[in-house]
Amino acid sequence: MFDFTSILKYTPFLLQGAGLTLLVSIASLCIGMCLGLIVALLRMSTIGPVKFIAGLYIDVFRSTPLLAQLMWIFFALPILTGITLSPFYTGTLGLGLYSAAYLAEVYRSGILAIPQGQWQASRAIGMNTAQLLRRIILPQAVWRVLPPLASMWISILKESSLVSAIGMEELTFRGQSLGNLTLRPIEALTATALIYFAITYPFAVAANALHRRYLT
Amino acid sequence: MRNWQPLAEGVAMTILISTLAMLGALAGGLAVALARLSRYRVLRALTYGYTELFRTTPFLVQLLWIFYALPRLGGPALTPFSAGLIALILNLSAFLGEIYRAGMIAIPRGVVEAGIALGFTGTDVKRRITIPIAFRQTLPLTVSHWITLFKETSVLSIIGTAELMYEARVVAVDTYRPLEVFTGVAVIYFLLTYPQSIILNRIYEKHRPQE
Repeated sequence: MFDFTSILKYTPFLLQGAGLTLLVSIASLCIGMCLGLIVALLRMSTIGPVKFIAGLYIDVFRSTPLLAQLMWIFFALPILTGITLSPFYTGTLGLGLYSAAYLAEVYRSGILAIPQGQWQASRAIGMNTAQLLRRIILPQAVWRVLPPLASMWISILKESSLVSAIGMEELTFRGQSLGNLTLRPIEALTATALIYFAITYPFAVAANALHRRYLT
Repeated sequence: MRNWQPLAEGVAMTILISTLAMLGALAGGLAVALARLSRYRVLRALTYGYTELFRTTPFLVQLLWIFYALPRLGGPALTPFSAGLIALILNLSAFLGEIYRAGMIAIPRGVVEAGIALGFTGTDVKRRITIPIAFRQTLPLTVSHWITLFKETSVLSIIGTAELMYEARVVAVDTYRPLEVFTGVAVIYFLLTYPQSIILNRIYEKHRPQE
């Protein structure tokens, strides 16, 4: 029933898609990690409106489906602003904004887990906020943040498949079009799933090890 | 916004399919957890493979596989509704299975031994002690997966299940008003999901002191 020889010659076609999946995922993770930190710090600000807006950002992006966000950026944003983004940039921006909201909460709980006494001690020896964040709080928070960060990376890898819905030719898109092209959806989609598995599984094993090491 | 009717139907479908999938996955997750703790090695290996496969591949790929590939492997032709429901249940069962397994392992041995000492059979211990405790202890995680599931149903629009996201795309094309429609839909999703996450936070807080 399975006849993989028929799609074997299309391996490069699928692997290029996998490359694009990795590229969009890495770019999104970078955006998510940087923006997430900014949002987390704003969320903990003492200025009311700043705190509120950061909180709203987190709630909105966590309470709506990623697909709805991607559709909005792809179809609605150009009308509102006149800026049209390619599927690649839409995907990167969408996944980046989405993961930033989740990572902001991850960072925040990592930072809040550091005992209050350390904040007070740093202040007492005359550090300003930037210094105490950079030298005392963030270096310790990193280790607590690492396991959920690894989980987020795995989520991004998988969620990037949704960008195929707006026409980016990443792995899922190519797997689907290969199925249509060769009239062999079974083999094409199975191969696609296996490539995802091969990419994600090592990260899943690593994430489990991190969870065991730092979160027990 | 004269097109509220298809969107309302979409909301109803989203809620319906999420609820059915959750019920299926609660049973499925429990079955997976029990199979992974079973004394038969084959059963353990099979469910381990199933869990890892469904947790490391994108939901969309699973959905496409079930919708396009499964019927050709001799399965029945599936409607977008049933394919979506099956995919959601299989996906979520893998995640919940891991959670319930961890929940059952975390129960101190003494509790199980006390049950046996009281004359419970192995099945009774599972039914009356292990499973209820595991369910209770992992309640926050179950609710958090429910919220993920609720949002994940939007992916079903890609194979044409007539839930909220699908209706939105249809209305956006019909009216040439993607800005209003997609903004409206995002607001609808937010209004439906946000109260759930508030409830989830409450449950988390309630659970914390016991851990």
